[in-house]
Amino acid sequence: MRRTNAQRRIVCRDLSGVALLSCLGWIFGLCSFLVCPTIALGSPRADASLERQVPITLRFVSWKPDHPRLWDEAIARFMQAYPHIKVVRELAPHSSTAYHDLLTQKLKNRDASVDIFFMDVIWVPEFAMAGWARPLDAEFGPAQREAFLAPTVAVGEHESHVYGVPSRIDAGLLYYRADLLSKYGFAPPVTWDELADQAETIVAAERGQNPTLRGYSAQFKQYEGLVCNMLEFIEGHGGSLLTRDGLRSRLSSSEALAATRFVRERIVGGLASRAALTYQETESLAVFLQGHAVFHRNWPYAWEVTNNRDRSKVPGLVGIAALPGFVHGRHAASLGGWLYGISAYSRHAREAWQFIDYLSTPAMQKWFALEGGIAPSRRALYDDPQVLAASPHLTNHLAVLQSATPRPRTAAYPAVSHLLQSYFSRALSLEHFDMTQEAAKTDAQIDRLLLLTKGRP
Amino acid sequence: MTAISPGSRRRDMLAAWSMVAPALLVTGLFAFFPVVDSLWLSLHHIFVGIPSLGQDFVGFENYRALLNDPTARQAFLVTLGYVLLSTLFELLCGLGIALVIHEQFRGRGLVRAAILIPWAIPTVVASQLWRYIFNDQYGFANLLLFGDRIAEYVPWLAYPGFAFGAIVIADVWKTSSFAALLILAGLQVIADDLYEAALVDGATLWQRFRYITLPLLKPALLLALLFRTMDAFRVFDLVFVMTQGGPGDATQVLQFYGYQTLFTEGRLGYGSAVSVVVFLAILGISLVYIRAIGSALLERRHP
Repeated sequence: MRRTNAQRRIVCRDLSGVALLSCLGWIFGLCSFLVCPTIALGSPRADASLERQVPITLRFVSWKPDHPRLWDEAIARFMQAYPHIKVVRELAPHSSTAYHDLLTQKLKNRDASVDIFFMDVIWVPEFAMAGWARPLDAEFGPAQREAFLAPTVAVGEHESHVYGVPSRIDAGLLYYRADLLSKYGFAPPVTWDELADQAETIVAAERGQNPTLRGYSAQFKQYEGLVCNMLEFIEGHGGSLLTRDGLRSRLSSSEALAATRFVRERIVGGLASRAALTYQETESLAVFLQGHAVFHRNWPYAWEVTNNRDRSKVPGLVGIAALPGFVHGRHAASLGGWLYGISAYSRHAREAWQFIDYLSTPAMQKWFALEGGIAPSRRALYDDPQVLAASPHLTNHLAVLQSATPRPRTAAYPAVSHLLQSYFSRALSLEHFDMTQEAAKTDAQIDRLLLLTKGRP
Repeated sequence: MTAISPGSRRRDMLAAWSMVAPALLVTGLFAFFPVVDSLWLSLHHIFVGIPSLGQDFVGFENYRALLNDPTARQAFLVTLGYVLLSTLFELLCGLGIALVIHEQFRGRGLVRAAILIPWAIPTVVASQLWRYIFNDQYGFANLLLFGDRIAEYVPWLAYPGFAFGAIVIADVWKTSSFAALLILAGLQVIADDLYEAALVDGATLWQRFRYITLPLLKPALLLALLFRTMDAFRVFDLVFVMTQGGPGDATQVLQFYGYQTLFTEGRLGYGSAVSVVVFLAILGISLVYIRAIGSALLERRHP
């Protein structure tokens, strides 16, 4: 008995020791989370004297591409044309927000190992004000900008400087099952009410053969894409997210409330499965590819996928139209897309520009369009017969692309977007939701953020 | 025993300090400095994306704003609910598992190893796994409940309540075995002769569990509770992978909110304030537990 007691005591002492040690461990772990934003990451320093002999290495931080083969080949072609420059690509997550977090973490620390990056169209004010992106006024002059689609150039500008060269254009489009629409004698819908009527008729009639068929499939998860989708409904109702001067939020305007209410009452759990609240692009497209949706909202890239026989059950059966509005003649599409930028901390800005310039030539953009279905940012390519033949969805909807609406343009956009995502997601998913009151609250919160960027010089 | 001279005592002290110094230095650099730095940052107004705003010292303004921030309040409540539910179920499941694998039976070694598998899987992988399980179209949960009646499949993660439940379930599945391991260690210290004596006295199985196992297991249970509470308070990866805080902020937890404000929004001051709140909460909880564990140990030393 005495022995077991002694043993027990030892174990007890050990246990309390372990407890203390582990506490330290946990505190330590917590601290490593706290310390992250404050520790500057070391960056490899290129020796200036060596640069003349050794080929220059450019570091291109890119998202994980949809078409890896295309990008590998594009980079290889550039290195063939410029043998003294080596391009090393660093892959970041595919998601825009995750890519933003990784990239800005490097830029915050003035990491010189980043030369070239992509900017989402919503990042330019932030990157410009923070001094992360190099102004490209000299290289990308007004004459050159004219060759590109106007909205893509506009989002690359901030306070009369230009920071980004558009690599492509994205805008929300309506995909529809052309076979089903013609079977029931419908023309592509122009208003949301038409879309709802058509979808309800088709789904009811097809229920026998296809019990999982739904009217609509789109992206309503709590993430950046939710803002794009809701912007289209609100603009399509004649509203807007911000006032024209960009200083006030307008969620509690009657148009915005009506549009949000429409999505809550008619779309989520109605025309679209409630599962759309968990969908980003990939999941919502999968529903359409499986033939489980009559209508689908997505970016231009989806065209190529819907017609890909390996991935799609509906190749050749899909049509494209502008997204509907709430009255005849009013359309809205969110503007998306990516711009090439050069880091302000790059030591090889000249070579970085050569790389961007090379990828942006008409020949390269055409190649990207033909091989990957990527919507070019150069205006002239929309008259090119080869592009026309390969991507009729782009050339027929140039007007939609050209009039696409950008999301709020402010350096505080990431914070504004989180408020919008939270508001919209609650509006669509909570059982009890006082929309008028919550919209007013969110407006006030967003107004405060908008004032920050405008308040002081 | 010979008296220790003041000189040799000083030498001893010097030796002791020089041996402790490296550890103190590392702790100071990696534990103390960042905490203090975060505290300091949390007293400032910093917007990384807008350097023209400057880096004003604003005192406790960020904390005051935090009190009035509906998202922060929601995140605090969700975190609290998550901590309570997940630690409760983990402890219960852990106790059950520990009692089973404490018994002698054929293949016990195999079962013990198998039980540790969920704990050995990286949380990100486990989260992805659970996201698939609760998927609306090909998820295992739906297959199990509805078979091939696909029209009835439920999009679990699209309902605020279910989504919250899903992250709790995923965490319980993943870390019950860790609690079981700690409790098993506690079980193994309990001497067999106590049970033998109880059997001689005619105690039932329940009485043996209630009056021998449970009281002697208290320190181990408290320890498991301490670890699980602190860990649950810091939940991040499950939310990041499974729900991104949605739908409708139903799974918005403090650490994810802190991450969003710090890394995505670049609000260093405000985000630091969120981190400091998490830190203080965990510190407070651990102090309470450590005291409780201490007194539980004392009780056992002087019965």
